[in-house]
Amino acid sequence: MSSAPATARPFTAAGFRRGFIAALPFIISNGIAGAVMGVAYRGLGLGFGASVLFSTVVYSATAQAVTLGLWALPPPVAAMMLACAATNARYLVMSAHLRQMFPDMPRRLMLPILLILGDASWLMTVAEAEKGRRDAGYLLGSSVPMAIGWIGGTALGYATPLTPDGPVAVAAAFLPLAFIASLLPTQWRGRRSLLPWTVAAVVGIAVAGTLGQSWAMLVGGGVGTLVSALRGDDV
Amino acid sequence: MSDWKIDLAILAVGAAAYAMRAGGFLAVGALPQTGLLPRLLRLAPGNLFVAFAAAGILEGGWPSLIGSAAAIVAMARTRKEWAALAAGFAGAAIAAALL
Repeated sequence: MSSAPATARPFTAAGFRRGFIAALPFIISNGIAGAVMGVAYRGLGLGFGASVLFSTVVYSATAQAVTLGLWALPPPVAAMMLACAATNARYLVMSAHLRQMFPDMPRRLMLPILLILGDASWLMTVAEAEKGRRDAGYLLGSSVPMAIGWIGGTALGYATPLTPDGPVAVAAAFLPLAFIASLLPTQWRGRRSLLPWTVAAVVGIAVAGTLGQSWAMLVGGGVGTLVSALRGDDV
Repeated sequence: MSDWKIDLAILAVGAAAYAMRAGGFLAVGALPQTGLLPRLLRLAPGNLFVAFAAAGILEGGWPSLIGSAAAIVAMARTRKEWAALAAGFAGAAIAAALL
């Protein structure tokens, strides 16, 4: 993790504009994914307000898909919080990197920006910094279109007058899993992923059959992670 | 179940999400930069996703298996999430209609 020199101003309006324009396409791409989430929430029986609240305060396709898979009434809050933290643990590393990059950025400004920190806006901001244009304004500017797309897409998807039936209903119920499955290629580390992923899958299936679906990801994923770490798959 | 209890549950999950987003920024001095913890944080997502997918496929049967395979292949080829979601949705719908 490298520290950027804190020479230029850490937040500029020009950076905001640059980030906003660069991230405009995300209104469409995040909007489509958000709409899918909205359809899934409606299929689950959540209200419109609760669905939009979910996409606003959790604001993470991964965490929302996982918690959607765990949803029940009454909601298993502890398991959902744990699952959300586990799937979003990467943000700890990302925001720690931001602190290194913006040591002169006041907390009162940075903490609200972090509400809509996304994988893509973080990557774009880091890439900008590596070009010598470190700017938290760019981080905020690039995050805003992504948030508009995701939250607005959820609202639009929920409001779409579609009533899935038959095979389409089955496919709609599958959407949370589709979010997670689509992320797998981004996490694949080549053949060294094979053993830990097999262990994670087998333990996950075993746990789903005994402790229930809520714990399958946490226990199976935890065991797989330990196997990865013990084998040194990341070095 | 009343709406405010559902909203409260969603806010609790939101708090967990924000804790991850802000935690690293606030506690960067306390977080070890090397060693087991950062390694586990890097390695965890893929393993968590696989366990979630495996348990979900077990529950959802053939449509989930075929939909997941379609989503994975589409993502690996295009690197576009919307394409992966569309392929997964189509795969699951077709499997549900045929199997």
